[in-house]
Amino acid sequence: MTPYDRIRRQLDDNTAVLLDGAIGSELVRRGIRWRGHGLRTDPDQVQALHAEYIAAGADVIRTNTFQLNDRIYLNVFRDPDHRRHIGAPGLETRAHDLTFRAVEMAVAARDESGTDVAIAGVMAPLEHCFRPDLAPDDSTALKQHGEIADWFSQAGVDLLLLESMNNVGEARMAAEAAVSSGLPVWVSFIMGPEGAILSGEPLADGVRAVDALGVEAVLVNCVPPEDTAHGVEQLRMATSLPVGAFAQVGRFDPPSWKFEFHPRFTDSGDWSPEKYAEKAQGWRGAGARIIGGCCGTDPNYIRALREIL
Amino acid sequence: MSPYDDIRARMISGETIILDGGIGTEILRRDLTWSDHQVLDRPDAIRGLHEDYIRAGADVITTNSFQLAKRSFLGHFRDEAHMNYIGVPGLEERAAEMLTASVDLCKQARDNVGADRPVAIAGAVTTLEWCFRPDLAPTEDQMREEYREIMATMAAAGADLILLETVNSVTEARVGLEAAVRAGLPCWVGFVCNEQGELFTGETMADVENALAPLEPDVILVNCIPPDDATAGLRELLAVRKGPCGVYPHIGRFDPPEWHFTAEYPPTTLLEESQRWKEMGTRVIGGCCGTTPEHIAKLAEGLRG
Repeated sequence: MTPYDRIRRQLDDNTAVLLDGAIGSELVRRGIRWRGHGLRTDPDQVQALHAEYIAAGADVIRTNTFQLNDRIYLNVFRDPDHRRHIGAPGLETRAHDLTFRAVEMAVAARDESGTDVAIAGVMAPLEHCFRPDLAPDDSTALKQHGEIADWFSQAGVDLLLLESMNNVGEARMAAEAAVSSGLPVWVSFIMGPEGAILSGEPLADGVRAVDALGVEAVLVNCVPPEDTAHGVEQLRMATSLPVGAFAQVGRFDPPSWKFEFHPRFTDSGDWSPEKYAEKAQGWRGAGARIIGGCCGTDPNYIRALREIL
Repeated sequence: MSPYDDIRARMISGETIILDGGIGTEILRRDLTWSDHQVLDRPDAIRGLHEDYIRAGADVITTNSFQLAKRSFLGHFRDEAHMNYIGVPGLEERAAEMLTASVDLCKQARDNVGADRPVAIAGAVTTLEWCFRPDLAPTEDQMREEYREIMATMAAAGADLILLETVNSVTEARVGLEAAVRAGLPCWVGFVCNEQGELFTGETMADVENALAPLEPDVILVNCIPPDDATAGLRELLAVRKGPCGVYPHIGRFDPPEWHFTAEYPPTTLLEESQRWKEMGTRVIGGCCGTTPEHIAKLAEGLRG
């Protein structure tokens, strides 16, 4: 039985599947200087955090690859020629190389744990996750998500998790690319203040678009815990697929430089792990079968969730 | 009388004026993250690096405020409603607070060092969107509004002049310069250019001079480009420019989100390049990303007098 077979069985039995918590925001909180997702400078800390999530009871751990794609290493140059002219060596393959490194860290943590947790390769919007207006056109999105899905497929993950999808069009292209890899695919939408996808499109539209492509679960993420149940209800009404949620705690504290997404979340004091887990029982009640933590959460949140699930 | 008046008079009389070196990259060398300007979180470190540049011999030091604008924070969110939904409080005001702090730290550094020569503080202001991407620039009306706010903050904080740097288009240079003039601040304008000495928009140095000369910028410079490209840009600029010109190249390579330091241009090599730029007629010389107080000390020693 592969690691994902066990997850699929849990979903079929309506047994809760526990996702891990945040990687990026937790590495930043631990004092890691955020560059290359910490994968070049602090791979041991990345692996250690995966190990903590496994020890906390996660069934699925996620790779440290949120918004890791070639565009983040290209958008800050005039064009590819300018990148070659003034850029550091290796930038052309940086996203590819770090994706493989990220999978290695997750696999190493699993091997060391002696468990069979499933490893989800995390794919995300190609442009800034909070800026649906910047999303690339369909053919670009399909091509670039296709490349990333291929990397994960070669590197050896058990499923692909499309996280923080902020509009229907890119979610559809990313899901199509991901499903083509042959791996099981879950798609998670980021919610805006109106209770819809961040783009303003109804969650039901996003769910229908990816359901038709053969994804195995749909979720909402990066939404405050108090608004998460509403997202779960909308998902459940829109599909018979398993649904899930992982909420963010604290508030996004953006960098003063305009580089790629910098996962700094502060002020998480309002939501203790216990309070979060209590709230998550409501999501479970609303029909969520997959539950975990987004930005601002840490292994204590996953441990608290394990106790109540 | 501002310390800048004396520096300006000396520059016009033909003296070489020394600008400081890399600020952001010095933050990295001091083992701090580039994700924040650190003017509020680590004022000691930022003040210290300004002090190092004054001791190295810089006549003009620049604030640690590259690309620091309201837009830098707001651009991370879908819109204001979304920022209020998941962002930390106070982001609307954060840029202005940090700009003010960046000037304060330069003033403190100047007081602490007490150099026996005038030291002027240049408020560093950059393109509103990414410096290497002219295609992302906002509309002219939008620019005008945002630059007015930035220049007013810089003037209120006590900057002696503005260094509008790494500019990538004539339009943005003109709008930023107009705003500085309107705020009553002298202004230098630095451009990033390609290997042929043209702006990334394809505009030429003649276009630059024609558009900016009526607004009387004290200096037009080229910056944040490798030394060879700087030579090309200077050659084009000096051929058309009536007023003073300047240069501060970067050394090493951009390694987003940080900098890749190389040993290609140690201080003595940069001095040799700088002597050639001086002979070409350049009045202001300093360093951009990757240069250090050691580079500036060498330039000050070798180019003065």
